[in-house]
Amino acid sequence: MEATGLALGMTDNESVDDPPEPDPTETIEELRRSFWYGSRSNLSFKFLKDLPDAEFGDFLDELLTEVAATIDSGDPTGVIDTAYRWQIQGYTGHLGDPNDFPHRFDDVPINPLPKPLSECRVTLLTSSGHFVEGDDPKPFGIESMTQAEAEARIGDFLKEAPSLSSIPVDVDPAQLRVRHGGYPTDAVRSDHQVGLPIGHLADLAADGVIGALNPTAYSFVGAASQVRLKRQVAPEWADRLRNDGETDVVLLVPL
Amino acid sequence: MGHVQRAIEEAGIPTVSVYIRSFGHIPELMGLSRSLITRHPMGRPLGAPGDGKRQRSVVEAALALLESPTQTIVEFDETYRIESD
Repeated sequence: MEATGLALGMTDNESVDDPPEPDPTETIEELRRSFWYGSRSNLSFKFLKDLPDAEFGDFLDELLTEVAATIDSGDPTGVIDTAYRWQIQGYTGHLGDPNDFPHRFDDVPINPLPKPLSECRVTLLTSSGHFVEGDDPKPFGIESMTQAEAEARIGDFLKEAPSLSSIPVDVDPAQLRVRHGGYPTDAVRSDHQVGLPIGHLADLAADGVIGALNPTAYSFVGAASQVRLKRQVAPEWADRLRNDGETDVVLLVPL
Repeated sequence: MGHVQRAIEEAGIPTVSVYIRSFGHIPELMGLSRSLITRHPMGRPLGAPGDGKRQRSVVEAALALLESPTQTIVEFDETYRIESD
């Protein structure tokens, strides 16, 4: 009995007589939805909520095939490509009628460059959710909210207007924090320039590709009320940039 | 972010954005001025962590779109690979 339990990876408190019971009532739909802020919450795969069951099956089939191939090849390229392609399918495969898109516009506001790019001052604005240690935007008044708490309260974030964090572009990267309940933040945690390219822009300024970099970059949590963003916050931020004396053009990085 | 980009253009400031392919439908539907679409997974708009070369190339390609006086939505034509400097 003991050897059997060890072989099955059991702990002292378990035996083969009373294995943990899977929920016998979970449907495929419930399984899919559990990746969307549910019991299996996973921000890289939360789109599974919206896949038809048959496509969910195809996704699992392709993913497991690539995983099996990786065991021998040691090359995860196929796994990454599969995840990438199914993210696209999840977000764009079932868009329906463009007229039903909730934030559709027919006009295109656009301004020409006022001078050559090599003379322009560039401002960076991202929706990465970065802020500097000691300058926590304190969502809902909570200091030092964790990433897990931000994910658990995603519904609250989506009802509120976002606040804009200022980030000195010469900040010590060790002082950067990121908290955002809407996307997988692992990559920007290990390298902020994945979503907040302040170093690359400084290099491009030093190399003369751009005229200068605004000494302040901006970041906010993009998982926010889109109505409040549109009506209230975005026009205020635009005014702020127009009047800051440091901005000729803006680079935006949505996460 | 689409609302932010529109508001900044409406304030008279030229803009460019970098969207991943999963959100690549947004620039056209929202009438955004200039967007570079990267073939990257969610959470990695500019490239893999540690791949400064790719990240800088994406930033430079995006900034180059600012030269365009009309709506421009183009794909950054390299697929995602994990490479370190």
